[in-house]
Amino acid sequence: MKNKRLRWAVPAATAVAVGTAFAIPALATASADELPETTPADLLAAVAQAEPTAMSGTAVYTARLGLPELPAEMTGGADPLNLLSGSSTIRVWTDGAERSRVSLLGTTSEYSAVVDGPEAWTYSSAKNAVVHVSLDDAATAQLDAAKADAQARADAVDPASIPTPEALAEQVLAFASMTSEVTLDDNVVVAGRDAYQLEITPLTDDTLVDRIVVAFDGETYVPLSYQAWSSMDTSAPALEVAFTDVSMDAPSDAALAFSTPDGATVEEKVVTGEDLAAATAPAEGTEGDVPVLPEDFDPSTLDPSALTPGAGFLPEGTSISGFGWATVVEQSGVDVAGLLSGDVDADAADLPASPWAGRPAEDLAEEFRGSAADGGFSLDATALYDQLTTPVEGGRLFTSALLSALVTDDGRVFVGSVPTDTLLAAAGLA
Amino acid sequence: MSHAEATAAPDAAEAPTSRTTAAGPEVREASEASEAPTRRRGAFGRLLRSELGLVLGRRRNQLLLALLASVPILLGIVLAIVSDSAYAGQGPGFIDRIGGNGLFLVVTSLFLCTPFLLPLVTSIAAGDAIAGEAGGGTLRYLLTVPVRRGTLLVAKALAAMTFMLVAVALVTAAALLAGGLLFGFDDLTLLSGQTIPLTDGVLRMLGVAGYVAMSLTGLVAVGLFFSTLAEVPVGVMAATVVVAIVSTVLDSLPQLSAIHPFLLTHHWFDFAEFLRFEVSWSLLGQGLALQAAWVAIFGSLAWARFTTADITS
Repeated sequence: MKNKRLRWAVPAATAVAVGTAFAIPALATASADELPETTPADLLAAVAQAEPTAMSGTAVYTARLGLPELPAEMTGGADPLNLLSGSSTIRVWTDGAERSRVSLLGTTSEYSAVVDGPEAWTYSSAKNAVVHVSLDDAATAQLDAAKADAQARADAVDPASIPTPEALAEQVLAFASMTSEVTLDDNVVVAGRDAYQLEITPLTDDTLVDRIVVAFDGETYVPLSYQAWSSMDTSAPALEVAFTDVSMDAPSDAALAFSTPDGATVEEKVVTGEDLAAATAPAEGTEGDVPVLPEDFDPSTLDPSALTPGAGFLPEGTSISGFGWATVVEQSGVDVAGLLSGDVDADAADLPASPWAGRPAEDLAEEFRGSAADGGFSLDATALYDQLTTPVEGGRLFTSALLSALVTDDGRVFVGSVPTDTLLAAAGLA
Repeated sequence: MSHAEATAAPDAAEAPTSRTTAAGPEVREASEASEAPTRRRGAFGRLLRSELGLVLGRRRNQLLLALLASVPILLGIVLAIVSDSAYAGQGPGFIDRIGGNGLFLVVTSLFLCTPFLLPLVTSIAAGDAIAGEAGGGTLRYLLTVPVRRGTLLVAKALAAMTFMLVAVALVTAAALLAGGLLFGFDDLTLLSGQTIPLTDGVLRMLGVAGYVAMSLTGLVAVGLFFSTLAEVPVGVMAATVVVAIVSTVLDSLPQLSAIHPFLLTHHWFDFAEFLRFEVSWSLLGQGLALQAAWVAIFGSLAWARFTTADITS
């Protein structure tokens, strides 16, 4: 009988051995004390000075925003909408300069975005569809001119007057200290690499953001993870992107190149010179140089309200209230119903001349519009809007862990990283 | 059932007395006594050949394999017929790609068979291994063969594993055949949009099949353990299938994300890695390590149970 009992010890021992084997990698990532000590200012200076590096890696993105999940199975394959909620795996390749590829992985699908200098493509394997974004000659010329202009300005500046990265970091920190506390957290290991952790905590309680934690690689100062914690949930970050696997070797040329697959539908989007001019032109009253902080800048003497951009800086119909983390952006004259119904003319008419107007907004509208023409599954924008928002007196509220939005019946939209009560108060509905 | 005799025949001369022993405990003693030097070289090979012949030679198992192999063929024919209709391109997985490249029939067939059909076939083979003998009353005779119970268990496990491998290979071969004949092969367009040459494409499809087969090894071990617990093979087969289904259900609940990495089925669909530009070997390695862990734990459980149980039927 004793022999019998002993035999049952074998599976028990196997279970323990297997458990240990799976736990060892987890334990190995628990501590990182190899990095030299640093300060927030030194870390920021090092990050600012760091050369862009070629790298590739796999990252896991997790959103706990309190929104309904739209997994890849529901969106008919990997789609940016999956990022609203739940976990997604992302792969990244970049040469550190002009070429990059980002892929959102679905179980049996992939959504890729490839950037090569001024050109960009997206490819959805589920729809077998390519979107090619390119610049026309006028836009290319404008971009080149802007580059040359920037280079000329940089050359014209006396090198001695350019602040050192350290001084710049101090300035940035001083600036940030008006709204936030910037501290260093314990070093961590991300994707097997030792990393510094910078923690930014808003000073105000009037925001949904509890803190933001960014981990920078101790060697290359590439950000390896990003966490945004909501004050509504202290157990897990509301938004998290972290590399699980990273390589600092240059990716192969084939990984960064894009070729249109046979049989894929291709949609060409050409950014014209006018588009570019409209998007980059400053609103009236803001022509001129970007303000530079004076040398004897002392943040403690600054009136925070002076930092709120004036009416001239903002596009028509947009205004800003609140300050820092508690900022609320108001946009008036938006016809949400028109946007949702997918009437292109209504879209164009209702989006005022703002930096957000034009292609990206149209793309978004198209994304949500869901046409029956592309076949298979498509989201009903109105249903999605109704599901994401809750009705309140005088409008509809969108609530998430990090961002709130209020659409009033009279066509005003309030957006801010603030509790919904603040938005209602701003709209005069509370 | 002629099986016990067939297996016992080569060794019958060495253990003539134990076949006449009727009571369970004595049988066990006899088999444990046989762990001593009566074993001869080649005994395991004969045992394994006999088990393989049994599993692959059974009419019902052959029928099962034939039905499984018909899945890709039927799928291909249906897709070929509807290719010009409004139904073209609708369906799960890579179904819309098959029309352009028959290679996708392999991955679509495996995609369709992975959630249920392949686990079912695997469960039937693994669940039947010991419980089938016990249910048929032949297990005690089988144990008269002068090999250790552990060795017998390994032979049973390898036979069930082989049956599973044959099932996956048949689906793959039938899909390659049907895909090639009905749609023709072309360079393979990966999920990320890059296109690789046909030879690489075929290799990747074989990689998909290999990974799917390796993913089922854990289920073989689970089925084998269940098989040592009961004497009704149908119940064991059902229980094994249920393990796979429950695991899939648990894997789909985001609330249980903490245990997801340890679930038997968690990495089953990672075979899609072979269709990405850069195959993440570390992810596939995780899947294989997970299966190895399930095999180790349930294999040793099956061994502990089978070598200590009183066999009375």
